[in-house]
Amino acid sequence: MNSFWTVVGFTARNKFRGKAFIITTLIIALIISIGINLPYIITQFDKGESSAKQIGYIQSQQEQDAGTATGNSLKAYFDAIEGSKIKMMAFPDKGDAAQNEQLLQDSIKDGAISGYLEFGDMSDSGYPAMSYKSEKLLDISITESLQTALQNIRLQTALQDAGLSEGQLAALQAPIKITTLQIATAGSGGEGKSSAQQGVNMGLIYFIIIFLFMAIMTSGQLIASEVTAEKSSRIMEILITSVAPLKQMFGKIFGMFLVVLAQVSLYVCVMLINLSLPHNKSALSSFNIDLSAIDPMILAYSLIFFLTGFFLFATLYAAVGSIVSRTEDLGQATMPMTFISLAGFYIAMFSISTPDSLLVKVTSFIPLFSPYVMMLRLGLTGVPTWEVLVSIAILLVSIYVAVYISAKIYRTGVLMYGKRPSWKEIRKAMKAYKI
Amino acid sequence: MKPLIVENVMKQYADKTAVNGISFEVDKGEIYGLLGANGAGKTTTMRMVLGLIYPDSGTIRYNGQPYSTKQLGLLGYLPEERGLYPKIRVCDQIIYLSQLRGMSKRDADQNLKRWLERFEVPEYYGKKVEELSKGNQQKIQFIAAVNHKPQFVVLDEAFSGLDPVNVEVLKATVKELRDSGSSILFSTHRMEHVEELCRNITILHRSNTVLSGNLKELKGQFPRERVILSTRTEVKGLEDISGVTLVKNHEYGYEIGIQSEAVGPEILRHALEQAEVTRFEIKEPTLNEIFIKTVGERNE
Repeated sequence: MNSFWTVVGFTARNKFRGKAFIITTLIIALIISIGINLPYIITQFDKGESSAKQIGYIQSQQEQDAGTATGNSLKAYFDAIEGSKIKMMAFPDKGDAAQNEQLLQDSIKDGAISGYLEFGDMSDSGYPAMSYKSEKLLDISITESLQTALQNIRLQTALQDAGLSEGQLAALQAPIKITTLQIATAGSGGEGKSSAQQGVNMGLIYFIIIFLFMAIMTSGQLIASEVTAEKSSRIMEILITSVAPLKQMFGKIFGMFLVVLAQVSLYVCVMLINLSLPHNKSALSSFNIDLSAIDPMILAYSLIFFLTGFFLFATLYAAVGSIVSRTEDLGQATMPMTFISLAGFYIAMFSISTPDSLLVKVTSFIPLFSPYVMMLRLGLTGVPTWEVLVSIAILLVSIYVAVYISAKIYRTGVLMYGKRPSWKEIRKAMKAYKI
Repeated sequence: MKPLIVENVMKQYADKTAVNGISFEVDKGEIYGLLGANGAGKTTTMRMVLGLIYPDSGTIRYNGQPYSTKQLGLLGYLPEERGLYPKIRVCDQIIYLSQLRGMSKRDADQNLKRWLERFEVPEYYGKKVEELSKGNQQKIQFIAAVNHKPQFVVLDEAFSGLDPVNVEVLKATVKELRDSGSSILFSTHRMEHVEELCRNITILHRSNTVLSGNLKELKGQFPRERVILSTRTEVKGLEDISGVTLVKNHEYGYEIGIQSEAVGPEILRHALEQAEVTRFEIKEPTLNEIFIKTVGERNE
């Protein structure tokens, strides 16, 4: 047991000391910080510009002018809305169409307005024909806002003309709400997840799956490349004669696990610190994220699947690393593992909107896929407890089998040099070495 | 009972026999020489002694016990193909390897410092292995094998790639190790090292033991077939003495091949008649000659 911890300590210490490790960790921590603060940074930039877009129109002296009336009512409408993105700006009539046009275009040049509205002949809609002119291409959002505004104005006047009271008006315009609640019908109670909870869970599941994927890929590659490096530097022969191969392999895996854990906790810390900065508080609440809505069972399960998934992949990666003699050949040898991991990851990612499909149900029991896919099901649907337990049991059994096979391959592989051996050669060597 | 006993050990790889029934015993404070041409089965034998691979049949006993992981701490190994972590500091990896074999960190550190002092390279303590020259890496490799004070030490081609000065330094330390009571299994191609260090040897040839036993006795079994003769003036007619097979004229004198030891006095008498003799020796065969004779004969 003692030498096991020696291996763990040595593996972890050397990783922590590595320059590449420190630099990548810091860079990722920096990216996380920037990512979290991005909304705040963007609003800081936005503040510089005037928040509302000014739209010009010509205010004619004639009371009867339909265009002026429309412009005025639009101005009143937008002024009434607090924080409106659009404001109307009236310009006095110069009496001449060409001069008016010139005036408005000059204003665009000055930056006083970003565009202007021109009125034409009266149309069937009750408003004159209008055209919006600006230097920008396809400024659809503005025309859409103008359309909605005009429609609302028309509706209001029509309703007022019909003689409805204020109360009736308010009743007509009251927003209609439908809340979504996800419930579990099978087995355990009828406890539902509110939409806020669902949102938080979905975010959490995304987070966990991406996280698991990253942890598996990076640490798996690291374990495999360390084993290969030890083999190619021939220190393996000394190691194998110093400590039982199984202890050595697990020491390495566990050491790497500690490294990943430390790295991950650092990232989570960075995230939490950034989120708790005062200027980010409102951002969280505006996204309707309530961290207390996280189901503790989800966290517990995610820990279990994280651990089992990590160890299953890590043992297999160690075995793959042991059969390769040169680091250059490693990428090719780990390719199948990488594909399997990617497949599990993408099944989970693309099924996030259809967590009930048969594919998801089946793959949530297949080891190597299940850590990803079962997490998805747990987070987004109600999964009967026995299914989860069966999935975990299958995972544990396959870890046992993987350890057994990996240990054998490892013990054989580390003594085989030359080109990458085929399965047949490994089996032969196992027999020859009596392993 | 001798600490290390290898008895009738056989190892077969898929289609070829690597070691065919080797037996030997290594005493406390003894260096046992394992000789053989490339591919004769030396490394396989050593790997079996180390427990890297298991024999098909036969037994290996350490202090009377069969191989188990308990023995790991007693073993020290200097592999033929050198192996150290290139990017890790000398102190870190030597202490690590010693700790793996059950030594405390403090003892390992002290021992390492002592060894570096012994090799007169204390400044390597904090250096990375890749920064050292090949010969100096070799010293570190040697320290890695013996730093934890192993009872059984396996040295596979310990002196290859070293300059003569360092060979002497390392040879002296191997002797020290022997005198401190370790049982050492030693393989090399350099016969003069074996003659200097080993009491008993085994010569392997194509997986088979062709010669085994006490080095002196082995030499006694081989006829003395060489005479070295140095004289002040020239000696003529040596070729004509019956029983002389060959005469070579060297700077130091004559090297004369003879059919049997009995021809020796005849040569001496002949030489004394003609000149003043400064040196006359009926040489016992060198290990090199024995090796070439036993291995070479079988090659034909």
